[in-house]
Amino acid sequence: MRRTLFILPLLTLALMAGFFAWSLLAGRDPASIGSVLVGRPAPRLEVAALRDGEPPLTDALLRTGKPAIVNFFASWCTPCLAEHPLFTRLATREEATIIGVAWKNKPVEALAWLKRLGDPYKFAGADLDGRAGLDWGLSGVPETYLVDGQGIVRRHFRGPITERDVNETIIPFLRGAK
Amino acid sequence: MLEFLLALLTTVTVGALLVPLLRVGARRTERLDSELAIYRDQLAEIERGRAAGAVPESEAAAARIEVERRILHAAEGASANATKTTAPADSSTLHRILPPALALLLPLLALGVYLNVGRPGLPAAPFGARPVVDLPAPGEPMTAERLVAQARARLAGRPNDPDALSALGEALVLEADGTVTQPAIDAFNKALAQRPDDARALYYLGLHEAQSGDSPAAIARWRDLEAKSPPDAPWLPMLRAEIARVSKAAGLPAPGGMPQPTREQQEALQSLPPAERQQAIRSMVEGLDAKLKDNPADRAGWLRLANAWRVLGENARAADAYAKADALGPLDAKTLTDWAESHVRQLAPGAAPPAAAVAVLERLEKAEPRNALALFYLGAASFAAGDKPAAVRRWKTLLALLPADAPIRPMLEERIKAAE
Repeated sequence: MRRTLFILPLLTLALMAGFFAWSLLAGRDPASIGSVLVGRPAPRLEVAALRDGEPPLTDALLRTGKPAIVNFFASWCTPCLAEHPLFTRLATREEATIIGVAWKNKPVEALAWLKRLGDPYKFAGADLDGRAGLDWGLSGVPETYLVDGQGIVRRHFRGPITERDVNETIIPFLRGAK
Repeated sequence: MLEFLLALLTTVTVGALLVPLLRVGARRTERLDSELAIYRDQLAEIERGRAAGAVPESEAAAARIEVERRILHAAEGASANATKTTAPADSSTLHRILPPALALLLPLLALGVYLNVGRPGLPAAPFGARPVVDLPAPGEPMTAERLVAQARARLAGRPNDPDALSALGEALVLEADGTVTQPAIDAFNKALAQRPDDARALYYLGLHEAQSGDSPAAIARWRDLEAKSPPDAPWLPMLRAEIARVSKAAGLPAPGGMPQPTREQQEALQSLPPAERQQAIRSMVEGLDAKLKDNPADRAGWLRLANAWRVLGENARAADAYAKADALGPLDAKTLTDWAESHVRQLAPGAAPPAAAVAVLERLEKAEPRNALALFYLGAASFAAGDKPAAVRRWKTLLALLPADAPIRPMLEERIKAAE
C-alpha cells in the first residue's frame, strides 16, 4: 500500500503532461475568452468627444442603418500602433465608419498620437475613466467591435486586428451589410 | 546584509537536506528497538486492562499471544536485515556514497550546462551604464524627433525637393516606431509626384500597404522596385529580405535563398537610410567573419557566412567559407550546389572552371548525377582539358534533361557540335 503511494507523483506528472499535450495539440486558443456581446444590441455608447468642438458620442451613431466599427485604443498601447494602418486603410479605401474611443488615455495625448499617425476615426470619443470600457466588456486595448446598422454587435476582436481579420472578416462584413 | 541573509538561507536549506541523507544508515538499527518499545507498551496495556477487569482473561491472552507473535516476527525481520546489510552491503554503500556523489555531481552538471549555455565572458551591464539602443548612430545621439526637425528644416528651403520629402517621410516613420503613418504617406506621395521612381518613397509606400493589410499590393510594388533598381543598388538585399518576410507573414509564395535576419535586426535595419543599411548588412557579415576567425570550428557559422557572402555577391569569399565548412563535415547536395555556384559565378563568360571549382563540381556530380550546373561546367572543364568525349557525354546528358524551350539549348547544341 505504501509502495503504491509513490506512484502518485508520477501519475500526477503524467496527468499534467497529458493535459499540456492536449492543450498544445488540440488547437485550443487559451487567449480566447469569447464575448457575450456578439449577437446582442451594442452596449450604451455615451462618451465625451475627443476632438474639441464635436458633440459627444451617442447610441444613435450605432443605429444609422450603416455598419460601424468601434475601436477602443490608447496612445500608450503598442498593439494599437501596429493595427493603426489597417484602420487607415479601412477608412480611406473602404470608407468605413470607424468610431474610436480613447480608453484611459488623456485627450491631449490621444490627440497628439492621432496627429502623428493620421486620424482614421469618423467619430472619436474619450473614455478617460474607463466607464464605457466596462459597459462594453473591455479586457484591455485594443479591442474592436463590428456593429451592424441595427446596432447589433456581430464580431468582437480582443487584441489587435490583423491583415487576415481585415481581408477575411471586416471587409466582407462591411460590404455584405451595405 | 542581503548577501549574508542569502548565505544563511542556503546553509539552512542545505543542512535540512543533508541531515536525513547522512542519517539514513544509522536509522535502520534503531528500528528494532523502537518496534520493541511499542510492543512492550502494548503488553503493559493489555496487562493493565486485564488487571482492571476491562478485558476478559481469554481475550487478554489472545491479544498477548498476537503481540508476542509480532515481536518474534520483528526479531526475525531484524536479523534477516542484519545479515542482508552485512552480506551484500550495497544499500549502505549507496548511502555512504550518495552524499559526496551528489555534492560533486550537481555542481559539475551545473558547470557543464553553464559552460554550454552561459556566456562567462559577457561583461556586466549595470542599468545605469547601459547604452541607449535607440539608434545605432555612433557618437552623437540621434533621436527621431531631431531627424524630423532636420527634415522639416531642409524642406522649408525647398518645399518640393523629393529627397527632402522622402527623408521627412522616413523620419516620421522612425518617429512612429516603424509604422508608416498618414503624414508620412502624404510626404512620400508628394515625393513620388516629383520623382516617380524614388526608391525610398516606393519602399515605404509598400511597407504601408503591408502594414495596412494589403500584402499582395506591397509585394507587387516591391517586386516592381526590385526590377527597376540597378543590380548593385544598395537597398536590394534589404528589399529582398522584406519581400521574403512579408510574403511569409501573409502566406504568399516566398522567394528562396534569402538570409533571414532576426526581427530585431530587421527593425533596426528598417530605420536606416538605404546606404547605411547596406553598410550595416555588410558590417554584420564582416562581424560574423571575424567571429569565425576566432572560433573556426563552428560549421554552421561558416555555412551561414558562406550564404551571406553568396547573397551579397562576394563569390570568392563565399567559396572560401564553404571550403572551411566542408573541412569540418560533409556537405549535402544543396550546399554543394551553392558552393559550386559561388565558384562558377567568378568565371568570365565562356571560361573553363579552375581546378578548385572542378573539385567541387565533381563532388556535386557524384552526389547528384543529374545536376545541371555540374554537368554544364564539368563539360566545359573536360572540353578545356582536351577530353572531348567526356564533354560531349556530359552536355548530351544535360541536353536530355533540359525542357524543350530552355533558352540555353541552342548554345549547348552549338558547343556539342564543336566538341564532336
